[in-house]
Amino acid sequence: MLPIKKIIVIIVLTLFVMYCSVSAADPATVPRRIVSLAPSMTEIMFALGLGDNIVGVTTFCDYPEEAKKKPKIGGMSNPSLEAVLSLKPDIVVMTTDGNPKEFADRLQSLHIKTFISTARRLHDLPAGIKELGRALGTKERSDRLAKEIEDGIAAFKRREDTSPTKVPAKVLFIVWPEPLIAAGPGTVIDDAISLLGDENISGSAKTEYPKFSIEEAIRRSPDVIVIGKGSGMDMRAVSKGILKRLSSVPAVKQGKVCYLGDSLYRLGPRVIKGIEELAECLR
Amino acid sequence: MSQVRIGVLLSIAVLVILSSALFGPRTIMPFNLSDIDREILVSVRLPRVLVAFLMGMALGASGAVLQGILRNPLADPYILGISSGASLMAALGIIGGFTFLGPVTVPVLAFTGAVVTGGLVGIMGWKRGGLWPERLLLAGVGLSFLFSALLMLMMSISTDEGLRRAMLWIFGDLSMSEWSRIPYGLAFVAAGILLPVTRAKALNALILGDEFAHSLGFSPQRERVILFISVGLLTAASVSLGGMIGFIGLLIPHIMRFFLGADNRLLIPASALGGGSLLCIADLISRSLLPPMELPAGVVTAIIGAPYFLYLLRRKDVLSI
Repeated sequence: MLPIKKIIVIIVLTLFVMYCSVSAADPATVPRRIVSLAPSMTEIMFALGLGDNIVGVTTFCDYPEEAKKKPKIGGMSNPSLEAVLSLKPDIVVMTTDGNPKEFADRLQSLHIKTFISTARRLHDLPAGIKELGRALGTKERSDRLAKEIEDGIAAFKRREDTSPTKVPAKVLFIVWPEPLIAAGPGTVIDDAISLLGDENISGSAKTEYPKFSIEEAIRRSPDVIVIGKGSGMDMRAVSKGILKRLSSVPAVKQGKVCYLGDSLYRLGPRVIKGIEELAECLR
Repeated sequence: MSQVRIGVLLSIAVLVILSSALFGPRTIMPFNLSDIDREILVSVRLPRVLVAFLMGMALGASGAVLQGILRNPLADPYILGISSGASLMAALGIIGGFTFLGPVTVPVLAFTGAVVTGGLVGIMGWKRGGLWPERLLLAGVGLSFLFSALLMLMMSISTDEGLRRAMLWIFGDLSMSEWSRIPYGLAFVAAGILLPVTRAKALNALILGDEFAHSLGFSPQRERVILFISVGLLTAASVSLGGMIGFIGLLIPHIMRFFLGADNRLLIPASALGGGSLLCIADLISRSLLPPMELPAGVVTAIIGAPYFLYLLRRKDVLSI
């Protein structure tokens, strides 16, 4: 055998061995103790089977049921550094959608590993889950979950594409009725409405959750009004006033007002279920 | 001369009310109304414009009266803690999601908070058989700090969602104005303005000192109690109509003094008209600038009002109560 061939074989073998040792998760680097600073991240990690490894969550992490029993480290915008440190996390999982950047900086300056998710929109979610899976050593499960969500989104897209005759419904998604706050552009809700081939009447607003003009709501005459869930509130009772004021729009006249859960408020594993619920409303 | 000036203010007010009703995110042509235009004009814009005007009137007039009673140019309806008490109750209702009185729950809670706080300030300010300006002021500032702290506490332990809703209300929100709120708003505001207007001579005398007022035949303590009650009514009505809107109560009376002098017989109605007009314009801008989004009216009020006040301050000479 020529020396040059030998060398190539050796190089290839070395590279192969190196590749294997990198791709097989090293048990020493897989985080055992995880602190989550966002309800959406908590839900994703529970779905990835990491529930037992989560040692701390925010006060807003209420899904799944077991998340409520985890030690609390404060809110999303004001987590307690001390509470996080005392849990001795191997990694702190955060999001740019609600956690302060300064908090990540503080953790990093204390040499605590962080994972910061930048996913904000529906189509960012599968990649975000995959990335999280890499960081947490659950590549296989996270790839599977990401695929499920990708397939779910694609199915809605197909359904929409195969009914070209459909007239888009004008939708008003009410996040809070008094004062009227709607779900605007850049939200998962807006993404879901366009994915279903319908039109969000506050899609042209300048912010994600605009305080919405009542007279514009009347003028844009929504065909469907969807009312989101407020934590622990009877939304039917608090929405009475606004529905009375919007009594002349087609949605109220034809009784096309529906109340939704909180699945679409969180960019997590429940979005597909949320889109299904929304599709049910918009049908 | 003074009648002419009040006449000018009145015409400005009418003009402002009319244009606030016709302009907005889209202009409505009054002679060619479509069904949707009519509905927007009648059930959305008119009540809103009237509520804004009433609220601005209440703030302007109560500011003028309060600066007189307290003999302090920095007094405004919010300094007595009345608004902090109202905000605390309103935030409790908003964050707690109470709906026991239907859509008027939050306004009623705010009104109750304002009246109770006004009563507390009155009790604290009462000594030796009467209300004393310094005591009222200090009691108000003390209660204001206490209630603001409780409000902050409540907001910091609430969810982000509840917090945002409470913030929107506290920054002033006129979007929920309905016809049903106007009769009671009108009753309180009319009573709250007429009362001090009829006592304006006494207020003029009080500003110059209790002894002076006494020598003119007014009972300083009795007048102060009457005037204080009217301020409480006005502040409570304004807070329950549309939350907290700063600037008007503090600076509209000063702007009016620049033009009309310090005679309260003129100053109180003028401050009411000026306050109403300013709030209407501010609300018009806040709902028209970035449709379909609305901005907080209180922010716009100060942004257009403060530079004008500062300009007058440079131009004019006097600044007295």
